[in-house]
Parts: sequence; structure tokens; C-alpha cells
Amino acid sequence: MTSAPRVADLLHDPVLDGARIVAGAAGLERRVTDVLWYDGAFADVTDHLVVCGDAHASPPYRLEAVVRRAQEAGAAALLVVAATARPLLSTVRLADRLEIPVLWVESGSPGQIALELTALVRAPEQVRARTIERLLRQLSTKRTGQDILATAASVLSAKVSLMTSDGACILGDPVDLDPRLHLDQAVAQHGEHLLVHPVLDPQVNRLAAWLACPFERAADARLDVLAVGLAMTEPFIRSWLSGQRAQADRDSVFRAQLISEIIAGRDSVSRDVVEGAVSLGWRLPGWHVGIHVLSEAGDHVDRERMIDQITTALAGHGIELVAAARRGPGWAMWITTDDEPAPDDARRLMRAVRLVAAALPRDWSLTAGIGRPHRGPNGLAESLSEARDAADLARSHDFRPAVEHSDELGVARLLATWQRSDVTRAFAETALSPLRDPSHSHLLSTLHAYLESGGSAVLTAQALGVHRNTVTTRIQQIRDRLGVDLDDPSQRLALQVACRALDV
Amino acid sequence: MSHVDAPPLGLIAEEHVDALTAGANLLGSGGGGNVALAYQLLRQAVRRRPVVVRRAADLPPDALVVHVGVVGGPDVLAERLIDPRDMATAAHAVAERVGGRVDAVGIIEIGGLNGLAGVVAAGELGLPVVDGDLMGRAFPSINKTTMALAGGSAAPMGVVGPAGDTVLVTKSSAALAERVLLSTAGAMGGAGALALYPTTAAFLAEAGVVGSLSACVALGAAYGEFPRTQVAALAEHLGGTFLFEGRVDEIRPRDGALPGSITVTDRVAGSAARIDLLEEFLAVTVDGVTRACTPDVIVALDPTSGGVLSVGQVRPGQLLALVTLRALHAWPPEADAVVGPRAFGLDLDLEETVR
Repeated sequence: MTSAPRVADLLHDPVLDGARIVAGAAGLERRVTDVLWYDGAFADVTDHLVVCGDAHASPPYRLEAVVRRAQEAGAAALLVVAATARPLLSTVRLADRLEIPVLWVESGSPGQIALELTALVRAPEQVRARTIERLLRQLSTKRTGQDILATAASVLSAKVSLMTSDGACILGDPVDLDPRLHLDQAVAQHGEHLLVHPVLDPQVNRLAAWLACPFERAADARLDVLAVGLAMTEPFIRSWLSGQRAQADRDSVFRAQLISEIIAGRDSVSRDVVEGAVSLGWRLPGWHVGIHVLSEAGDHVDRERMIDQITTALAGHGIELVAAARRGPGWAMWITTDDEPAPDDARRLMRAVRLVAAALPRDWSLTAGIGRPHRGPNGLAESLSEARDAADLARSHDFRPAVEHSDELGVARLLATWQRSDVTRAFAETALSPLRDPSHSHLLSTLHAYLESGGSAVLTAQALGVHRNTVTTRIQQIRDRLGVDLDDPSQRLALQVACRALDV
Repeated sequence: MSHVDAPPLGLIAEEHVDALTAGANLLGSGGGGNVALAYQLLRQAVRRRPVVVRRAADLPPDALVVHVGVVGGPDVLAERLIDPRDMATAAHAVAERVGGRVDAVGIIEIGGLNGLAGVVAAGELGLPVVDGDLMGRAFPSINKTTMALAGGSAAPMGVVGPAGDTVLVTKSSAALAERVLLSTAGAMGGAGALALYPTTAAFLAEAGVVGSLSACVALGAAYGEFPRTQVAALAEHLGGTFLFEGRVDEIRPRDGALPGSITVTDRVAGSAARIDLLEEFLAVTVDGVTRACTPDVIVALDPTSGGVLSVGQVRPGQLLALVTLRALHAWPPEADAVVGPRAFGLDLDLEETVR
């Protein structure tokens, strides 16, 4: 059994919506055990809320006697409903002095209000049962999250919001978070002005969100109704969430299916596949550039959200993905254009993907590969395969995020093989040993830059930020120390590989 | 000795004028009209020849007494002199109608302007004035009299305007008498001389308030001789009861027949008093308990000057002291419907009223 409500609690109950305190605010914390409809006589009204209508409040001098007699009879408060005259100042002063709250409701039926208040005070469990029944009845026809929240809010006569654990609002009005609430623990709680109920993830039984209901103040019974109301609403929200999830899953399964058929069928894709592709807005006959994204992040990262973010970030760089579909452990996505992309476009895309990957959280461990442009359904399959190969290579790097383009794949792969071989490494150690001394590190870097820039002293000087003559002098010193002819292509190739091998 | 038991006066002479005026002002209960002009008239009248005062019982039993005074809007009466000759004309007209000669002049109401007007009329007619009145205070309506309660008729009533127009109402009902008089006065520019309630001295001795003129003079004299700024002591000196002192916080004017209210707050004690009013102060309720109500006389005093305040003189923010005076007349319980709070539309919670 909950304890009797206080006057101030009742004042915040929806039954007394719009009521104001005219006088006697000092007595607002008194408990109310019953409600009395005043008909001109007081029996034993100790701790009663006395309700009176216009007959006892107009002309206004009448109310003064009611106030005094109510207080003398031990009433907790006086509620005046639909009085036509303002109370006199002397009445206000008297109520203040006697510390008996005088509550004022401008309009409404006094009898109805008295009846509802009686139920509220005498039989809170009845009010609760009625509220829950109405809530269930109305919620059963609601489908969307907005509708469910709006229904709960109207039946409970309170604000109801859906929010994340960090207090960000998903549906409904933003909520002021109470720092004393433990939103990491999935149990219903209430703070000073906020009631929260956890919404569990439909599949993994983990916390997905919170139903929040702010209140100014409330009696125990009212809090009880709100808490039960939230608990009743939770399964509906959960089922809506799971419906949302199923919808998204169905789409992604369909996309993955379609893409695997395109890849398998190559040029001879079936009519169904074409229809499916059109229904999703894919333009199969155009030029396609595939991107394959892999993530080595743990299960705690929502892949759907990850792909959404990548898509949004790429759009920010002017790259509009046609679609993203699950393919194996990764995601296949692609761009389609009507005309063949220029070579510059490939570089731009590469740069954009790198920037995007770098901007996303490092613990996602992203790797991405980009294919070359190809045409038609066959071309899409081709480009996606290239992209996947490139992504595989990128994954072999020991840094994250890593992005590779299939254009540079052949040479890079060859060189990678060379650079990793023990023979190359042994050669590098020997051939470059005269420059390995730390005091000559500037010579080694100059040689590296010189070879990478194709034997141009000017480009080398630019890359190193030194004067061209310095480069020429250093090259001469290198020639002397190594005793090699840098004009011989074979020598040069061997030294370049050696430099790269030392870098690795 | 209280003014109620004051020894009967034999004459109203010049030395009584101040006391009579002050007494009438106090007994006006906040209404009754402004006495300043009547004070001047009275002084002139009694300076010429003092007015003889007789109790009704001391007159020959069949002597004809006509009650004389003024009727009209208080604002008009405060500014326009009433010609004593008009009052004499009105008295003669009424006496003529009942087939006699006026033997003595009666006072309609001792509170306010009419308390003085009766004496002025007696002076003008060269007749004695009866030591008594019909209300024991001031009331806004001509049917709220002891005579009416005793079954006496107000008619014939005579109203005389400043131009000598004379209206004689030969018959009237209690309900309409007041309205007939006021509309007649309205036609005469807002006010007129009035004569009514012609009666024999024997009937008046039974039905009137006895000795109120002497009491009024005694009350005024007591008020005049006492330092007025000590209101509580003054109240005791006047034989009354001090009710409340505080600052006027709110004035809610009357709404037609619906009484208005004044809230007076004593900030030190934290208590508040409500004064219900129409033309007069009708009731004083302190902290929800009605301490005085009509037909008690309620006097509002300015505690800084000791001056008597009428209903229209009370201003927000003003200091106000409330005193109730002993009634000059013990109204029978059945009079409650005529002179009690209910007669003024006040449904007071009187169960525990301290009377």
C-alpha cells in the first residue's frame, strides 16, 4: 500500500490540470486521506481535501467563512472549482495565516473532479487498473514508435520519450537527464524528476534504449501508475524496434542475394535479377567502380551503422554510392556513372576513401579496396572482384586503416614480393652498408628520394627541401662511397629495391 | 456613562452643534451623507433660536409628529444647500394630508446628515424636535425603520424640490417607497426636502428609538473631548469595542446590489480584516470571524487624525481603525430580515459571531 498523497502531489496530477494555488502554500505538504464534497456542513474532515463549487465561493466573501471552518475542522486543503469571482485578499491572507492551501480550478465540473480525486486518493489501485486497461487497449492498435509513444503519453497524461543510454533523444521531446540514474544498468529506475524504463534489444536481450517519463512531482500512487505504464509500453516499443530491424535485415539479405547472382551470372544475368536491380535503383548497364570494405572490429560494432557512416562520409566527398551489400565477411559497394570515368577520377576516389577511412574510428580496423571502372553487369562483377582483391592486399598491411587501388596492384604485388625476399634484404644490407652509418643517414635518404623521383636532381631537391646543388654534391658522394654507376638502369633498379627493402 | 443612557436634553443650542454633528457622523456607520453643510445650517438655525427637545412620551398623546429630513444622492447633498423652508413646506403638506397641524418634528435617522436636518427643520418650523429617531443609526432605505416594523406607514410622504415643486405620495408600499422617493429626488436635480411617517406622539413613544438625539450629542461630546489618535482607548471611551487596526490592502467596490469588500491587513500580527459594505459599512470579519455586523454601528477611523471615514473616503494604502459602537436600539430578532446582514445580501457565517 502506498502512502497517502500530499496536496502538492494532487496538484500535479492530471485530474487537477490547470489548478493554481491561490493561498496557503505553506500547507502543500499535508497528506490527504479523503475527499469531501462541501455542501455547507463539515463533519469530521481531518486531512480531507474539501471541494466546493461556485455556490460557496461567490460572492467572494462567502469563501472566507468556508476557509476558516475548513481549517477549524482539520481539512488538509480546499479546492474551489469553477468559481466566478476572484477570492478576496482578506481570504487569501486568512488562508495564508491558517496555512490551509486554497486551490483554484477555473473551469470544469466540481462533481466530476471531486469524484476523480476521491478515486485517486481512496483507491489508487483502481485508477492504476483503469489506466493500464486503457493503455493496453489503445496500444494494441498502434504500429509506429511515434504512435506508441503518443498513445502512452496521452493515456498517462505525461511526456514519454525514447532515448539512448547517453540521453540522446530518439523519439519524443528531449529529456533532462538525472545524473543519479544508472543508465548502464538495465533496470527501471526513478530519479527526482525522471522515470526511466529499459527497452531491451529484441534479439540479444541487451539494453537498446530507455523509455523516459519526466514528472515534476508525484504521489507514490501516481509514480506507480507511470512506472507500470512505461513497463506496459516497453514490449510494444521493443516489438516495433524488432520490426524495424527485420525490415532492414530483409533489405540487406535481398541486396546480398542480388549481388551474388550478378557476380555469378556475369553478362548473362536473369530477368529477375535485372528487375530486382531496377527496383533497388541500380543501373546495371553503366560504368561501375567497385569498393570492397572489410572491418576487423569486434561484434560490438554495429555493421549496419558502420556502412551508413561510410556512405554518408563518402557522400560528403561527392561520391554517391549506388548501394552497399553484404559480400562474404565484408561489404561490396559501388559507384555507377553513365560515361567512362577519367583516370583522374580513380585518384580522386582513392583519396576520398583514404580520407574517409582515416576519419572513422581506428578501432573499426577498416581496410578497403577499389576496383577499376568496368561496364555492364559483367563489369560490375569484375570491378567488385578487383576491389575485393585490393582489399585483401590492403589487409596484409600491418597498419589500419589501409586502402588499395587495383590499378597499382600488379606492380605493388611484385615489388612487395621482392622487398620481402631474404635475397633482396641481404643485398640491401651489403650494397648500402657504406651509407648505413647514422652520420650518413642524409645520404641514404637522398639516394632513396633520387631513385624514387626517377633520377631527377630537381625533384629530389624539392622532395627533401634542399638546394639542387646539395643534391648533386650528395649524389657525387654516394657514387664515390658505393662505387656504383647510377646511370646504369640495372644498378639503379637494384639499388631502388634495396632502399625500399630497408624501408620495410 | 455611555451615550446610550445619556440624560435627556432640554434644548439644542449653539454649544451642542459640534457634538451633535460629530455624533451623527459616528452613527452614520460610514454612510448617511456628508454633514458639513447641514452643520452650517444647524449653527445658523440654533444661533437664532435654540430648538426645544421633547421625548415623545412627554408630548400630548395625540400630538402630530412628522419626520423631516432630506432625500437624494449623497454627492448632491454634500454640495447643495437644502433650504429649511422646503422642509417646512414638506412637513406642512404631509400634515395637511392627514388633516392636522404639525405639533413636533421627528428625526428620520440619527446617523449622518438627516440627524441634523430634523433639528434644522424643527428650528425653521418653530416646533420642538422629538428626542429620538426611527433607525438609531443610518440606513440606506426608508423602510428600515422601527416604525415600519411596528406597522406604521411612511405615507403620506412629501418631497419638495429647490424650485418649490411639491410631490405628495399619499400611499406607498414598503418595497417601493425608497424607489419612488429617489426617482422623485432625481427629477428635482438629485435631492429634495423630505417629510414622512406622520404619527401620533403616543404611537411614536412605543415604536420609535427613544432618546437618540441626546445620545448622539453625548456621543459626539465624548468623541470631542478625547485625544483621538489612541483609537483603542477612544473606542472604550465611547462605550464601543475596538475591532482592528491595519492598512487598507484591497478595495473591491460593490457591484450593484452585491456588497463590496475592503481588506485591511495588520502586517505585524499577520491577520487580516474584511469590511463588507454597500452605502454603509455592513460587517467586519477578522480572520474569518465576523466581529460586528449591521445593525451594529461600525465606525472607520483614520488612526493618524482620529477622523471618521465614510465608505467613499477609504483609500488603498491608508491606515484604518475599526470600532463598533453600542446600538442605540435593541432590534427585535424578527427585524433581522430588514436590518440584519441578510437584508443587504450578506450571507454571513454568524454561528460563532462575537456580538
